[in-house]
Amino acid sequence: MNPYDVVILGAGPAGLAAGLQAHKSGAKTLIIEREDKLGGILKQCIHDGFGLKKFNEKLTGPEYAGRYIKMIEDENVPIITSTFVTDVSKDQDGFSLSLVNSKKGIYEIHAKSLILANGCRERTPKQIFIHGSRPAGVYTAGTAQYFVNILGYLPCKKCVILGSGDIGLIMARRLTLEGAEIEGVYEAKSIPSGLSRNISQCLEDYDIPIHLSHTITKIIGADRVEAVEISKVDDRMIPIIGTETIVECDGVILSVGLIPENEIAESLDIKLDMATKGPFVDQNLMTLEDGVFSCGNALHVNDLVDYVSESGEYAGENALNYVKNIESKKERKLIPINYEKEKFLYVIPQFIDTDSDNKKITFYLRSREVRKNARIQIMGNSEIFYDKKYRFLKPPEMERIEMDFTDIDHLDAIEVIMK
Amino acid sequence: MSNLSDKIQRKLNRKISRNITCREWRCSIILEGKVDTWEDVYLAGKLAVNDKYKGVVNKIEVEGLDIPKIKKPLLEDKYLLDKEIDVLIIGGGVIGSSIARELSKWDISVLLVDKEDDLAMHASSRNDGMIHPGLAPKPGTKKAYYNVKGNEMHTKITEELDVSFKRTGSRIVFYNKYMRFVTPIIKARARHNGVKGIKYLNADELRKEEPDISRDITGAILMPSAGILSPYKMTIAFAENAVMNGVEISLNTIVSAMEKKEDKIISVSTNRGKIYPRVVINAAGAFSDEIAAMADDQFFTIHPRKGEAILLDKKKGNLLNSILSNPALFKIKNTSKGGGLVKTIEGNVLVGPNAYEQPYKEDFTTNKNSIDEVLKKHLTLVPKLSSMDAITYFAGIRAATYEEDFIVEKSEHVKNLVHVAGIQSPGLASAPAIAEDIEKMAIEILSEVNDVKKKSNWNPIRKGIPKLNLMEYEKRNELIKERPDYGEIVCRCEEVSKGEIIDAINSLVPATSIDAIKRRTRAGMGRCQSGFCMPLVAKILEEESGMNMENVTKKGIGSEIIVDETKKHRIEGRGKHESL
Repeated sequence: MNPYDVVILGAGPAGLAAGLQAHKSGAKTLIIEREDKLGGILKQCIHDGFGLKKFNEKLTGPEYAGRYIKMIEDENVPIITSTFVTDVSKDQDGFSLSLVNSKKGIYEIHAKSLILANGCRERTPKQIFIHGSRPAGVYTAGTAQYFVNILGYLPCKKCVILGSGDIGLIMARRLTLEGAEIEGVYEAKSIPSGLSRNISQCLEDYDIPIHLSHTITKIIGADRVEAVEISKVDDRMIPIIGTETIVECDGVILSVGLIPENEIAESLDIKLDMATKGPFVDQNLMTLEDGVFSCGNALHVNDLVDYVSESGEYAGENALNYVKNIESKKERKLIPINYEKEKFLYVIPQFIDTDSDNKKITFYLRSREVRKNARIQIMGNSEIFYDKKYRFLKPPEMERIEMDFTDIDHLDAIEVIMK
Repeated sequence: MSNLSDKIQRKLNRKISRNITCREWRCSIILEGKVDTWEDVYLAGKLAVNDKYKGVVNKIEVEGLDIPKIKKPLLEDKYLLDKEIDVLIIGGGVIGSSIARELSKWDISVLLVDKEDDLAMHASSRNDGMIHPGLAPKPGTKKAYYNVKGNEMHTKITEELDVSFKRTGSRIVFYNKYMRFVTPIIKARARHNGVKGIKYLNADELRKEEPDISRDITGAILMPSAGILSPYKMTIAFAENAVMNGVEISLNTIVSAMEKKEDKIISVSTNRGKIYPRVVINAAGAFSDEIAAMADDQFFTIHPRKGEAILLDKKKGNLLNSILSNPALFKIKNTSKGGGLVKTIEGNVLVGPNAYEQPYKEDFTTNKNSIDEVLKKHLTLVPKLSSMDAITYFAGIRAATYEEDFIVEKSEHVKNLVHVAGIQSPGLASAPAIAEDIEKMAIEILSEVNDVKKKSNWNPIRKGIPKLNLMEYEKRNELIKERPDYGEIVCRCEEVSKGEIIDAINSLVPATSIDAIKRRTRAGMGRCQSGFCMPLVAKILEEESGMNMENVTKKGIGSEIIVDETKKHRIEGRGKHESL
């Protein structure tokens, strides 16, 4: 069996970038996509704002995906669609994957390295413990978006939106433009979860009210949604009894968070970071399992697709480097990157392999709270490698820091500090 | 007024309210009046139970409380108009469906009606899927008899009907090492009920079987005959086998009235036309008392006992191998419900259920306090489980009588009516045994007027929808080669193929809604809770069944998943932006 050098799971923005990069660098590459079309969730994101960093242009989701699909086609990157990975296990070459599709049935392929670019899924109403009845008309924002943008159907005419994540905000605008009435956006937190630009462009421009520190405490209606019960919440996000009001509506759209999809990683016993819900990785985006890489929204939920593609490229490049050096492979020398949990939501990567030739490290991090005039420092053994003042740090907006660590062999840890 | 009903009335007047009156009717006692709370209604019913009476008919109302009437299907047509049949079964739960299968052995016409859009929509889909061993019911009750007999029958029946079933055994856990001294008492009860194989497990033995249980657990009683299956798949399997053998099923069909002549039911009115049955079987679950009343034969009352339960992600399924029950089961009080953790047949962990009295027969809402309490109570059994693992939760209503036993009998006053009522837990386990007895009763009644023969070509074997992701690769490959749709995965969390969804749509009791497909195939039952696959399943339903997307529902008419096509309602220039 002739194994692939790099097999990429998922052909969304991360997987496409990873496959393109690996293939261009000379790897025997294969991208596997479970849907029949490429592009992942970008297919249904017909709003613009994609690609400002990558292409210096404002593109729609399908346009952004189209750019990569064209490059993939031009470069003849091998890709199979409508194919589902039903099992992954380790073997002597690296990894053995069982694939299933309607043409070939079930069959095996082998890979020296794997890139997990599975993207993320939406948190469901049940995961945030919404109670009441279970009528039709309760959808996650992504499902509603699929109905409107892909299938051309309106899921509701008068709805409330719970959660102020970006897709929820975008769907508020989208449904308004399609003639639905958005009664309001309700957010249990005291600050919005989505990007500021989406608050302004999707809500304020359309006079859609956002109610902070409010949540849905009950869904009412046996067959279709008839109303919701809204309650104020306290600073621990617990509903305050006595503040209930009933809002009539025929739909509830939820945008209450995204969860990286890591079921395949878990089946390989790859350790996940509870902060990101993605795997722990080093600067090469290699997980704690040698030969398995993670990128895009499967690694952590990104704010911009441009960074998703970027991490895909890193993973593609580094997976090939790993394969090239597989013969001379030695143990990684991983040192942790520590950060203060009360100040940062997360910092990626979580480790640095000081033996790796790759000394260029890209940090992605998010502040836990909104901060003004904060300073971020990256240090090792009291030596300061990075020091920058930020006018604003906001949880919805990810920060990216790129830096060169040429001489870090002597360090046993890196500290990321906020002042 | 007799001395006894007088005595009971005095007791109720003293303990609850002066506004309650009692009277005898046939061999039952009827309670009437108005009280302040539902708790009082329930309490009055409980206090009125007496061996001397056949049953308690509790008509007490709560001042100012409006209990909604039965929810009716929106359909109105003449599909069943003037239909003559030998046996009409009212209710398509596991009881009605298993009776349909038994009766399909006979050369007679059988019609099963249910008011919902699919079978098993009430208690039969809203339970923990446990095939109880038969220890909990009080010795000598119908519950005890049918439970033990029904439990045994599942080995053969699930094989004939191609339903996954595992005898995982259930373990009642102890937190106190002295509890093992109750083992002889439990064994005595087991002997009385006919439950076999019960034994005490010490902490080490228990941990060998369930390594992740709490360190606080000191031992357990093992009941090896307990098993698990999917209750709605079981119900559908009974019904499909019945349909294979000639039984007709009419869904969205509600019985609204009965016409009697002398002591026989002549006709039964429904929203789909009037039916003329020779025998009527009342298997109407929570509404069986109301059906009995239509035939002027209500000698019992159903008081809806609600329960709520939670399902955890399959990922955590490896932390549990069987059924663990918290020990409330030992209380002699038959209404108590221990609940616990159940490893479902599909590999999830089910937490709960709880049990509480409330007035509504169709209130399937879940409540924060209830769900929180259930999680808090049972997750401690396996400390590695967390409420964060919850993927969904649900509520169900138990159809309990005040006597708390099953009613499985011919009506004493209506010659062609059979009651199967009060079937609460362990109804699922008992169903096949109950069905055999109901079959006998129905055939006896029919034989009085007609010569009834068994079919020579009755086929007990039913094939379910194949579960491709559980198959050996070779077998799976073969099926995909035969039908490529089996190779196209639609539901990623549960790995369900397009072929399986099409099978559900085209099955003998066709799935006509998203939820009906979900119950048959598990598409949408995983951790994303149908976020990704629901629109895809809707598309397949549209294509396969020929319905328009506007008519695709979550669970029957009224629960349409979309409201319109886009663009129709577009308001030009709305908001500050002219266009996107």
